[in-house]
Amino acid sequence: MQNRISLPALIVLAIIAIALPLIPYQLHVSTYVVQMFMQAVTYAIAVLGMVVVLGYTGQINLAQAAFFGLGAYGVALGTVGGGINFWISLMLGVGAATVAGLALGLTTLRLGGHYLAMITISFQQIFDLILVNWVEFTRGPDGIAGIGRPSLFGWELADDKAYLVLCTAVLYALVFAVWYLPSTRLGRAMRSVRENELAAEVVGVHTLRTKVIAFALSALLGAIGGALYAGGFAYISPDNFNFARSIEFLTATLLGGAQSPFGGVIGTVLIVQLPEWLKHLPESLRFIKDVYLAVYGIGVILIMVFLYEGIWGLVKNLRAKYFTTPQITTDTRGVQPLVLDVQGDGSRPLLRLENLQKHFGGLKAVDGIDIDVQRGTVHALIGPNGSGKTTSLNVVSGIYRPTGGKVVLDGEDVSMLKPHQRAGRGVGRTFQNIRLFASLSALENVMVGAQRDNNPIPKGDKALRDRAMSALQFVGMADRAHVIVRNLPYGHQRLVEIARVLAGHPKLLLLDEPAAGLNQTEKMEFVELLKRLRGHGLTIFLIDHDMGLVEKVSDRITVLNFGRKIAEGAPAEVLRNPDVIAAYLGTAGEANAAA
Amino acid sequence: MRRLAGIAAAALAAAWIVCAHAEDTVKIGLVNEATGPNAEAGVYTHNGAKLALAEINAAGGVLGKKLELKLEDNQSTNPGTVLAFSKLFGEGGIVAIIGPIRSTQIQAASPTVAKAGIPTMIGGTDPSLTKVNNRWVFRARPNDSYSSRVIADFGVNTLKKQKWAIIHSTDAFGSGGMNALTTALKDLGVTPVLVQGYTNNSQDFTPVVLAIKKSGADVIGSYMTNSPDVGIFAKQLRQLGVTAEWVGSPSVVTDTAMKLAGPALHGVYGIADFTPDATPESKAYAKKYRDTYKLDPDVYSSWAYDALRVLALAINTAKSTDPEAIRKAIVSIKGWKGVEGNYNFDENGDGLRGYNVVKNEAGKVSFIKHIDFKD
Amino acid sequence: MEFITENLQILFTGLGLGSIYALVALGFVLIIRATNVVNFAQGDFAMLGGYAMVLFFTGLGWPYWIAFIGALLAMAVFGVLFNYGVYYPLRHRSFLPVLISTLGASIFLQNTVLYVAGPQPKPLDKLLNFDGITLGGVFLDSQYIVILVATVALVFFTFLFFEKTLLGKKLQATSQDKDMARLLGIPVALMIAITFIYSAVLGGIAGVLVGPILFVSIGMGSIIALKAFAATIIGGFGDVKGAIVGGLLLGVIESLAAQHISVPYKDAYAFLALFLFLLFRPQGIFGEKVSEKA
Repeated sequence: MQNRISLPALIVLAIIAIALPLIPYQLHVSTYVVQMFMQAVTYAIAVLGMVVVLGYTGQINLAQAAFFGLGAYGVALGTVGGGINFWISLMLGVGAATVAGLALGLTTLRLGGHYLAMITISFQQIFDLILVNWVEFTRGPDGIAGIGRPSLFGWELADDKAYLVLCTAVLYALVFAVWYLPSTRLGRAMRSVRENELAAEVVGVHTLRTKVIAFALSALLGAIGGALYAGGFAYISPDNFNFARSIEFLTATLLGGAQSPFGGVIGTVLIVQLPEWLKHLPESLRFIKDVYLAVYGIGVILIMVFLYEGIWGLVKNLRAKYFTTPQITTDTRGVQPLVLDVQGDGSRPLLRLENLQKHFGGLKAVDGIDIDVQRGTVHALIGPNGSGKTTSLNVVSGIYRPTGGKVVLDGEDVSMLKPHQRAGRGVGRTFQNIRLFASLSALENVMVGAQRDNNPIPKGDKALRDRAMSALQFVGMADRAHVIVRNLPYGHQRLVEIARVLAGHPKLLLLDEPAAGLNQTEKMEFVELLKRLRGHGLTIFLIDHDMGLVEKVSDRITVLNFGRKIAEGAPAEVLRNPDVIAAYLGTAGEANAAA
Repeated sequence: MRRLAGIAAAALAAAWIVCAHAEDTVKIGLVNEATGPNAEAGVYTHNGAKLALAEINAAGGVLGKKLELKLEDNQSTNPGTVLAFSKLFGEGGIVAIIGPIRSTQIQAASPTVAKAGIPTMIGGTDPSLTKVNNRWVFRARPNDSYSSRVIADFGVNTLKKQKWAIIHSTDAFGSGGMNALTTALKDLGVTPVLVQGYTNNSQDFTPVVLAIKKSGADVIGSYMTNSPDVGIFAKQLRQLGVTAEWVGSPSVVTDTAMKLAGPALHGVYGIADFTPDATPESKAYAKKYRDTYKLDPDVYSSWAYDALRVLALAINTAKSTDPEAIRKAIVSIKGWKGVEGNYNFDENGDGLRGYNVVKNEAGKVSFIKHIDFKD
Repeated sequence: MEFITENLQILFTGLGLGSIYALVALGFVLIIRATNVVNFAQGDFAMLGGYAMVLFFTGLGWPYWIAFIGALLAMAVFGVLFNYGVYYPLRHRSFLPVLISTLGASIFLQNTVLYVAGPQPKPLDKLLNFDGITLGGVFLDSQYIVILVATVALVFFTFLFFEKTLLGKKLQATSQDKDMARLLGIPVALMIAITFIYSAVLGGIAGVLVGPILFVSIGMGSIIALKAFAATIIGGFGDVKGAIVGGLLLGVIESLAAQHISVPYKDAYAFLALFLFLLFRPQGIFGEKVSEKA
């Protein structure tokens, strides 16, 4: 995230940040204000967790209050019940929450969206039931009173103000960490999952692991917030950690802006403050006070419709509009040429499909095909609509598992590997309908491609960045590196998608109708690009409908019809094969009849 | 970030605005549920307190000054209650506070009250609230140890039943009541044949009713929190042919529960700390309340009415607004006739030691007897 | 003998509750199929239906059937509003904004009704004017009988509507492939609006039917909806048969477990069953393998 903040702004920000928790020391403020601060600060930490899981990774979590509660109960039961040191209790609670988050994530994140919403609600409900009913352990609905506060380096934090300074310091540290996260390897992986999970997986991101880590991080942050909350208020009971509180965290996150920790903090402050402000309404508007939860509800819908990135998104967009000129071109001096050379045993085919089958129920989309793709060649797969081309490609890249037969890559059977594992072995692909990470910059998109497992480049962010710039340079997009890809024209998006694959140093490049939607000039340029790639020794396996293009670039063509191979050979001979011509004409006729 | 600073400034401003009042009144805070799921009860509490306020001020106020109520919403939540208390304490000049009626909210705010050292009248009935080393909490209602003793005493001594089934919600109120009732029965030499909990908002009580049937209980003692649960349970109880007597906590004789359950609750005994036709005082109060608000009075209003009058009495007796003096005056109140009963404050701060037993007679609540304990 | 009657009694109420879950789950599934979105306000449809009935029948004193029809008409209108207010503006977005939007709608509906109607739950009359019948020591509540019969009838009706009418077929086409349906000249937006209407009416019927037993209250829909959603997953996500079987199964499981294991954890069993299914059979009873849908 290019949150470049100017130096004066940074100084002002730092002064405000330091001054805020010290206000109670300098001015006479009531306990009330201190406690309000305390509530906002501890809630905000939990909301940071929501920023990670919802804002960055795009996964819903409706049990944040339960994780918050695990942290709080860790501290409460540890200090009051077990007589354990505050910090150790905090670790126990946070540890328990993280483990719960991991377990929950591992069991459900492979199923995705709706399930996750449901499971987190269930977890929240069960957590609630246990808190209330397992009286021997949790002390039941009465809750736990007399929770102590810690000392730090011999410094007693029993005083409200000192404790608030501690909590605020923790919040700042975590805001910084969460703010920094998106520009790390893990952060980019999270955002790529949010933007397009399938593409992320195919490009080499271990999406399940990324989601589970995000979920566990969210649980961890929630628990830290809860642990500090317990110390701050000295009394907790189950009704602090119910579903309504989870909704409150969610609303705060959305209101402030899920994609930034600053948004999360703003949202939390507003949610904590809102009821207070409503009290000062004039008499004629007092009814709003009675319906403010209803207003929350409407607010959530309106945010979804009009303000998807929340208040922080609004602020950022306004700033971008009026105060900064967006950086359109990037300085490309010093970008190294892309290294693509592929080593390997030249004697055997790079990709071999052996009696490959893929059935959907009764439909035999791919019905026993054998194809050898020789190293360093361009191999095209053609056939009429519904002949099984895209299905074959999906089986090769791992999106589908074959019903029967084998996919052998460079002598290794990869049939049962996940897409990201295949990407880690040098399989790269593009999609017919471009699948980029729309709200990331071109550079970030390509960096995600570069960070696949086993990519033979040096470690570290700089190497990733250099590799990505080289790849962008290769396709002629280096000067647009910092443009958000959503704002690029279609043809350029295609190029970025290819750069993303190239950055991952692929042995085998799978292209799914790469020329679809390009105009004639762009197609010509694309043919040149393919030839350059082949010149670098890359093996390319592609699908396309444009016979002219296929004939120009291919060394070998395989033709499919009804999931079976009907012809194979050099372009000139295959395209004159009567079976092939019949297949194309025949299906055209059937297609007309069906419509 | 500038926004954040602005928000912080506004928060502080909001807190300071209220500090600028002149000191010409004696201020008593009222922390109640003005918003959130229990907002309706909060309105009644306010009603009761307002009625007392008008009376007190009409009779000359306290210490020659007018009494003033300062309302603070607790949003029906625990953290909200803590905030509300600390806000009132922070404003300064608050002499005493009338707290909420829910036990966990008071528990949450108890440390704040102890730190501030300002007398606080509460309506929560969890017995432990006045016994947690907090000298500043006083209760204007009888606590649950008495409700359970009244239920046990009435069932064992008046109805002459020995085979008890205790049905309770597993929330704070229900489990607290269940424990107290078990103890109270034990003191009368009775061990219940069944103790069965359920979670609030159960949709089906068939397993509970079958367990009662199996246990052969001839009387049911209940601590149920929500009216729909009372309604569903009552209906299924009668449908499955259980004819045992039933003596329940106040929730079985609320207006809502009786409307929901209809005939299924007829003949059921309940206890109530406030019954309109129990004493001359409660009759007078009920009339006044009906005249003022065109509503039937209930416990949410009556305790607050008593609480404010007790505070005014104590301040006048102490001739001071010093917290220690007020505390001393409160604990020396003996035999004072409130609308909830006769107040005899003890050192813990508990004012009442008894309940009314009432009966649902074909949809009308009628007063049966008042049971008071000495200790 | 006592053991048998006891368990039959439990089984009966379990089935009764289960068919309420099934009805709400059916509404869920129709919307999932049409829009690929889980509607978190589905339970509140039942709540609104119940309150509409209370308003017309208890409040305005209309005859039972007129009030019933009035409530269903009100729900149909509400379905239109819901479609255009909550779903339509977000129809081109991913599922997450829509899901959160329905969550917002749920909070809004509950609190608005709370403000208008107050927190006191309302009683509602039974459809039949007798309490129930006792059969071999087992008490059969007349309203549960009505619910069971109505559920069977509605499932049958839904089946006929979708399989045998042109409108139903258009709805099916829309839910299978919106682009294709558009190409065939089916007004997709209208079809989705109709789905919301139908789903709202189904929810309303569930609310009116369950009102006499669980009473009409603000939160009545929430817990039912959670169970109903669990039922859709257990039955097979997005599968109509699955919703019905899942709902009935869940009702029976939790009643039996409450009887034989522990009452206070009753709500946990449904979720526990859900967890187990997700672990060992995530595609549910009737679903296709989830992992195939990459």
